[in-house]
Formats: sequence, structure tokens, C-alpha cells
Amino acid sequence: MTDDTTPSRDTVAVPERIDFPRLLDFYNLQSEEETRIHEFYDRLREDSLSTTRCDECDALHFPPRIVCPECTGDDLSYTSLPHEGTLFAFSVVRGSAPIGMTDDVPFVMGIVDLEGVDVRLSARIDGAAYDDLSIGDRVTLKIVDIDGPRDEDRVFYRFEPVRSVSE
Amino acid sequence: MTQTAAIVGGGHTRWGDRQATWKDLAQEAGKAAFDDVPGVTPDDVEGLFVGAVQPERFAFQSHVAPLVAELLGVDVDSMIARTELACASGQAALRYAWLAIAAGQLDVALVIGVEKMNLPDDRTEEMQSSMTNVVDREFDGVNGLNAPSYFSLIAQRHMHEYGTTREQLAAVSEKNKTHAANNSYAQFQKAVDVDDVLESYPIAPPLNLLDCSGITDGAAALLLVSERKARELTDTAAYVTGSGQSCMASNSINNLPSLSAWPQATVAAEKAYEQAGIENPVDELDVAEIHDCFSISEIIEYEDLGWVEKGEGGRFIEEGRSALDGDIAVNPRGGLLGCGHPLGATGISQALEIYRQFTGDVPDARRVPDSPETGLIHNLSGSASVHSVMTLARDPQ
Ligand SMILES: [Zn+2]
Repeated sequence: MTDDTTPSRDTVAVPERIDFPRLLDFYNLQSEEETRIHEFYDRLREDSLSTTRCDECDALHFPPRIVCPECTGDDLSYTSLPHEGTLFAFSVVRGSAPIGMTDDVPFVMGIVDLEGVDVRLSARIDGAAYDDLSIGDRVTLKIVDIDGPRDEDRVFYRFEPVRSVSE
Repeated sequence: MTQTAAIVGGGHTRWGDRQATWKDLAQEAGKAAFDDVPGVTPDDVEGLFVGAVQPERFAFQSHVAPLVAELLGVDVDSMIARTELACASGQAALRYAWLAIAAGQLDVALVIGVEKMNLPDDRTEEMQSSMTNVVDREFDGVNGLNAPSYFSLIAQRHMHEYGTTREQLAAVSEKNKTHAANNSYAQFQKAVDVDDVLESYPIAPPLNLLDCSGITDGAAALLLVSERKARELTDTAAYVTGSGQSCMASNSINNLPSLSAWPQATVAAEKAYEQAGIENPVDELDVAEIHDCFSISEIIEYEDLGWVEKGEGGRFIEEGRSALDGDIAVNPRGGLLGCGHPLGATGISQALEIYRQFTGDVPDARRVPDSPETGLIHNLSGSASVHSVMTLARDPQ
């Protein structure tokens, strides 16, 4: 049996490019309209690394919260964190970078123990190559402004090695 | 538990960079499972459990459990669910099915894990973004903390604290990839030695390419049935004897109990051992499929599953104690390092391997000697914040 009619045929266009949702650049939206921890980002924009502390049980949290995971209280206050610390671990990202970071490779990332407080956070480490670093190296806070498509001044924290005074 | 459940068979697709869709893979594994168990047809299945981590991102499809039901003609009348627990999603599906059977809700379950990770047009960074999403995206993922970089930090700390060596890490890869060379569904069917691992491309120091698992398309399926039904169907099954999980209210870097130790694995294992009546795992376990997403992971698992003192994991591999003829044959399937890691399918594949080792239906080159009777599967997930352990036995007490 053969078809006795040829089906009609048309072309349907799809967009050349479909933009990924804005959040795929990995930096969260930081304003009061978008997040209830905006004060963390507001303070970071003013050069201060901070986090929440529970007014009821005194627990210090990181990342910052809106509910205390220790006592479920929600009376939390922002408190400043030290801007210096030591390198607990570090590595370098080469081939496995996600969207938005592929132009940056290779880059160093690691874990920083903040000085004098029980907070250990992951961070990009700028200003040093992997081979120049050792566990225990002193590092200091650095703020980066995020230049992107979003009409909002976003910031984030990184760390860099502490330079010697004579430099 | 009023009754337990048993694996009575299952099936596997070829794993790798497959020219096949998510739906193709589900059908291949499902057919292979039903072909393997002549006594069970899709009409007999009452519960369907689908392990899948990111079909929304990798295949642009959600609500995948009913999709599988339709594709395989399974008329579910008791329980249907998809499980997502990152790299442990497959074991989570198996655990749900076991609990449903133990609770008397159903007698026959199809447990299937499917993942399609290789994207068209080589969109590696999209796939890497999806992998990065399994850690706290806002505070950890944003720093480039994804699987290779995160596990390289773990390796660095373990080496720093316990003197674990690059050679010991490489020995894990050599063992598992050599097993995979005799596994016809594995992604990497090529034996390697320690030197090959040490000379491979440095992905994220101290981890090299051959210290890492792959980006894998694949599926695996199991038929899990009640003990009563299992006795009707077969003389040789893999009975679930224990199952434990642990997450210590922690997921992001600041809150994890440790980088170089996984106390969650200890808690999960102790729960499973207790249920199974296992007092000395090294003496009593014959075969184990544990989560070697990276070579370092397997070394830490020897320690935190309670097989060797903390810090001695490197010696456990070095002394051949995890070899096929060692104290516990670890990852005879080839592990994640050799088979690849299609996230939601891995736990299912591990459990299927334990069943096949019990029945003896594996090639001689990777068969555990002396008819193994007890086995264990282990998965970690995300930032290793969750550990899942299940014990299995051929002839439960
Ligand atoms: Zn509190």
C-alpha cells in the first residue's frame, strides 16, 4: 500500500537562543524584595561580612538564617564576622566549572577558618595560584561587585592571601 | 519489621555516553528486569519507585514516575513515587519500596533508577551547573564547589590529617576500574594501574581524571517482592536485612561535622548492622558496593563504615583487604569509578550486583569467591551530608 496524498508541509521557527533564567549565574538575588536575609548582603555591600545570631539561645549561624536551627526562635540579630582567617583546605577548578564560571578557570577555591570564631566557609581564593598556597596560610576578606544583566547591585565575598607589610 | 523484602532479579542498560533518551533508558532497564524474572509481569507490580535526580535539568521532564508506569505498562494500585536524594536517589527508592512491603502495603515493587546526563551539543557547563546545585547553591555552589573540587578538598584534608597517599588513592581506582574491565555494562571497560592514575590529567588536585567517576547515561531496575512472594518465586534472592540513613542537621560547609570523616556513615551503618544482627562487619560481610564517586571516598568509607580504625583506610586498600579475595570484596561491579555514575541508577545497580553475586551470575574475573551470602550497599549524597546503608543476605536468619 502506498500513500496517495502527500501531507502538507510547513516550517515552524523556534528562537535562535533561549535565555536561561537569570538565577543560573549562581549569585542569588540579594535585595529586600527577593530575600529575607538581605541584611547580610546589605552589610557586605558596606564592606562588612556578617551573619545572624539568635537572641534567644545565642547560637551563631552561618549561613545567615531567618529561623534559628538550634531553638526554632526567629528573633535573630546580625553580627559582624572577622575579616581574616586561615586556609583550611583548597583546590583549583579546571574543567568542571558550571555556567557563569567557565571563563574564570583555572581558579582557586577553598575553605577558610575565620579567626577567633567558630565559622568555616567556602570561598573563592583570589590573588594566588594553587601551587603558591599551603594549609594554614592567612587570608583576608575581599568584596567583589557582580557585573551582570540584573538591574541590582549584587556583591559577594572572596578571600585573598594576606600580603606582607613591606609589599 | 513484620516481614522483609527481597530482590528476585533485575536488569541493566549499557552505561556510558548513550545515543538514547531518558525514556529509552527507562524502557531498556524495565524490559531487562521483567525478562530476568519470568514469574513477574508488569501486571503483577503494585508499587513503582523511580530514582532520578535531575530529569528536569538533564531531560527537561518532571513527574517521571507515571511516565515510567506508562512506558512499562505498570498498573500501579498501591504506591508510586519518584525519589530525589542526589547521588543516593536509587537507594532511597529501594528503601521506600522495602518499607512499603514491610508495612504490608504491597507485595511486588518495581524499583528503577534512570539518569540521562550527557546533553546534546556538549553542554558540559550546563551539566556541571546541575551537579553544583546539589550543594547549598547560595553559599557553596557559588564558589565553584561542585563534585571534583569538593572531593579534592576532602582528599587534601585526609592526606593532611592521616598521611594518606596519592598511591593509596590510585590503588582504589586501579582495583575498581580493573573490575569494570570485566563488566559488559560499565562505562569504562579498561583496566588501569596505579601509574596510569597518577599520570592522568589533574582535574582538581590532588585528584586526577582517573580518581573520578564519569558523566553517565544509564538505568537499572530491580524487582523487590515480599518475603512470602520471594519464597514462591525462587530459591536464591537478596533479602533486605537492614537499612539506615543519617543526616546530622547539616549540609553546607560550615555545618558539616567534618571534611575527612563521615560520622553519618557510621550512624547509618550501625543502624543497618544492628537490624541485620551484624556484630563484626569485616568478618560477617562478604561483598560490598560502596560509593566511590572519587577514589578518596572509598578510603573514608572503609573507616567510617567501621571496617578499620580512623585514618587507616589507605592501608585497607594497600593490604588488599578490599580486593576480590580480601576480607570484604569491595566494588566487584567496578564501582562508580569503573561503571560511571548515572546518579539515580547507581544505588539500584549496586543492589543488583549484590543479588547477582549471590546467584553467581557474574563473569569469573570479578566473581567474589566462596559463594558470598552477605552484602552491603552504601551511598553518600551531595556534600556527603547524607549517608545511606543497606545490608542484604542470601539466606536471612
Ligand atoms: Zn536559637
